[in-house]
Amino acid sequence: MTNRRIVNILIVISLLFLTLIGYLTYFELSLKEKVSQNPFNKRQWAYEDDTVRGSIIDKNGIVLAKSDDKKRIYPFSNLYSHIIGYNSMTYGKSMLEAKYNKLLLGQDDFSTVFYLSSAKRAGYDLTLTIDHNLQKLASDRLGKRNGAVIALDPKTGAILAMVSKPDFNPNADTLAEKWLELTDNEKSPLLPRATGGLYAPGSVFKIITSAAAIEKGLDGETYEDTGKVTIKGKTFENYKTKAFGKINMERGFEVSSNFVFCTLGTQIRSEGLLEISERFGFNKTFDCDIDITKSRFPQKQADDAMSAALAIGQGETLATPMQMAMVTCAIANNGIMMKPYIVQKATNQNGFAVYEGKAQQLYKPISGEVASRIKSMMVNTVKKGTGSGASLRSYQVGGKTGTAENELTLKSEDKEHTWFVAFAPADDPQIAVAVMMEYSGGSGGENCAPIARDIIQKYLYK
Amino acid sequence: MLSFKRPVNMLVLINILSFGLLFFYREPLDYNVLYVGGAITVLTVLTYSIIYFAHLGDEYLFIIVSMLVTLGVVMLCRLNYMLGIKQVGWYLIAICAFYITFALYRYTKNLEGLKWIYFGAGVALFLITLIFGKSVGGARNWLVIMGRTFQPSELIKIIFVLFLSCYFSGDRNKKIFNINERYIIAAAAYVYIGFLVIQREWGISLLFFITYIILTYIFDFDWLLLLINGLFIMIGGTIGALTLYHIKVRISTWLNPWSDIANKGYQITQSLFAIAAGGFFGRGIGLGSPQLIPEVHSDFIFSAICEEMGIFGGIAIILLYFIFVYRGIKIALLLPDGYDKCVATGITVIFAIQTFIIIGGVIKLIPLTGITLPFVSYGGSSLVTCFMALGILQAISSKKQVNA
Repeated sequence: MTNRRIVNILIVISLLFLTLIGYLTYFELSLKEKVSQNPFNKRQWAYEDDTVRGSIIDKNGIVLAKSDDKKRIYPFSNLYSHIIGYNSMTYGKSMLEAKYNKLLLGQDDFSTVFYLSSAKRAGYDLTLTIDHNLQKLASDRLGKRNGAVIALDPKTGAILAMVSKPDFNPNADTLAEKWLELTDNEKSPLLPRATGGLYAPGSVFKIITSAAAIEKGLDGETYEDTGKVTIKGKTFENYKTKAFGKINMERGFEVSSNFVFCTLGTQIRSEGLLEISERFGFNKTFDCDIDITKSRFPQKQADDAMSAALAIGQGETLATPMQMAMVTCAIANNGIMMKPYIVQKATNQNGFAVYEGKAQQLYKPISGEVASRIKSMMVNTVKKGTGSGASLRSYQVGGKTGTAENELTLKSEDKEHTWFVAFAPADDPQIAVAVMMEYSGGSGGENCAPIARDIIQKYLYK
Repeated sequence: MLSFKRPVNMLVLINILSFGLLFFYREPLDYNVLYVGGAITVLTVLTYSIIYFAHLGDEYLFIIVSMLVTLGVVMLCRLNYMLGIKQVGWYLIAICAFYITFALYRYTKNLEGLKWIYFGAGVALFLITLIFGKSVGGARNWLVIMGRTFQPSELIKIIFVLFLSCYFSGDRNKKIFNINERYIIAAAAYVYIGFLVIQREWGISLLFFITYIILTYIFDFDWLLLLINGLFIMIGGTIGALTLYHIKVRISTWLNPWSDIANKGYQITQSLFAIAAGGFFGRGIGLGSPQLIPEVHSDFIFSAICEEMGIFGGIAIILLYFIFVYRGIKIALLLPDGYDKCVATGITVIFAIQTFIIIGGVIKLIPLTGITLPFVSYGGSSLVTCFMALGILQAISSKKQVNA
């Protein structure tokens, strides 16, 4: 009996020791990253002092960030503030500088094991998927207006350009000088709007509503569009209350008829819209080079009036410009949504790639047939609908406009967010673009479509 | 014929490699390192040979322990040569103490009859510490003897085991003043724990409590007694956690050390930074920065080992303790019921739980309580008393061999 109990104790002790080993392993695999990046970790400071931080270059080799002795230099100042972020002893790190800190410092298991000399270490250089010329054009065209422009390769998910305004100058001197102003500013210049700003998507959401309508076989009806429709006491008007008369869903999409889509909303209902939105990535997060805020579609069941509002991208739906760019990519890419990525590769001093960004499928929200139906609707929108501002002479462009009401439009007219999403060429999409201007007033077709056109043109006529 | 299948030869090889590395990595070359390495290797091989050729019982116990000591000395030399040299000196004294304890335990008769003498000796040591002791780091738990500091609680660990074993191997139905003796023994155990609490030795008092519970479970199994003890410690622990500032601080820095890194959470966060820096394979001996951890040479030596020898190095240490505990338990299992069996179990359990408490503490698995890592941490009283305990275990294993 005694021996029996001694063995029991041996088992308990073994379990205790196993717990130690298990926790150490867990610490190493899961907690280590966060712990070692803590700003109080003196080892990290020492390591950074001993290392020449890697450069960041665009896909054509143009240097976007480099290190000179201990200073981090951003030659294009504001242009990459919401992609590369900043790297400061005082304020820490943000965006790619934070996410890829380890690679920029050349810290990986390989170098830890084999680094035995006392020479100054060299970090790894990052090559981005960004096209500097496109980035510059996008920023220039957005100008001083607040908003975001994103260009993606729909077949791979590579981010070609991504601009958020307002932006800031991440160079150390200016950052220190302007820091208080930046953090206090009510326009939040430190917020990367393209990936972190949440906006009502407005009529751009009709892409998703159409997909649901086609899947449910609700696309064959004909409507008598009177310019406005009243559902459960709530009235929805077309843009400028324009009546389109006898139209089908396709035509309703091209002219962005709220009459048609509100009616569809009451048929698909909020549950149906929720289901398809989640297939497109709403209410979901995924791991990405740049943190993308979760876009939201309300999960509670809604009545007919609310379902109608949701169908036209109003109500409580909020999306990041990146989310809508990804939706556009899925339409362009036969229903397959690729995972956005921005780091093409990381190379060591000898040019050997220690990390490579790969094209990965993220979701497959809809079938190829549904995607191609919507694709042709979007092409017609540019050809003979609200998106005519984006048409090009030698390429077929597909697009969708959006004008979204928000908390400010309740008080004053002319404060809508305006949107435009597009892809081209329609038969073999090379580029997808999303343009969003916050509180700009006007319409997506007037404000945003020309910017999207210019970017597509620059990219395709390179 | 030299073969690396023999553990002692592997140990020599590891000594040559690690001290060679320590010697070469820093300029100017310091020949002290070679003397330290040579001394520890000679001491180890010599003692091992004596144990092996004179048939002094289980030969593996000493091998495992000297591996631990070697790792500790390598780490100490890397942190500070002086500490390494001193530790080797303590190792020499500890081996002497090992032989003396071995001989005393092996050849003294009627050790199990000294129950109240053990108890008295323990209490006396506590009282002396309380009256003449010196405060180090907020706890009055050091004695100064001829200019050298000494921590009596380390020695009391052994006395505690010997005392409990007297009871467990004796007549258990005895009554003193009409009270069942097991409750008297329980009260005596809490006297020890009480002294430790007064001295703010949280780690060792926890160690004493767990050891007492485990030994009671094994040798005097009684649900009522275990239940009473469980309740007692739960109530006591809750009151302590709610009222005693020191315990509150320990619990809050365990739950969230990151909120106060500059002050209360400093030690544990520095320890975690060190472990995180090491990764699986470590940064290499001499290439990390373990000196950033306060008390790195004693309580936090495990973190330093993890930083420079990696998590695999740390796991190897845990496994060494595991084999040691396994050998100890094996010795106890093969003995007939009686005093030696209790002592062997008690000493093994003390080593196992002490290891768990301190390693669990520095990796933030459990709240941190200051206690040394047996055989590895720097410190004379810790090393010498650990080897005394080893001497007892060795003596018991040699008796078994004779009897078998």
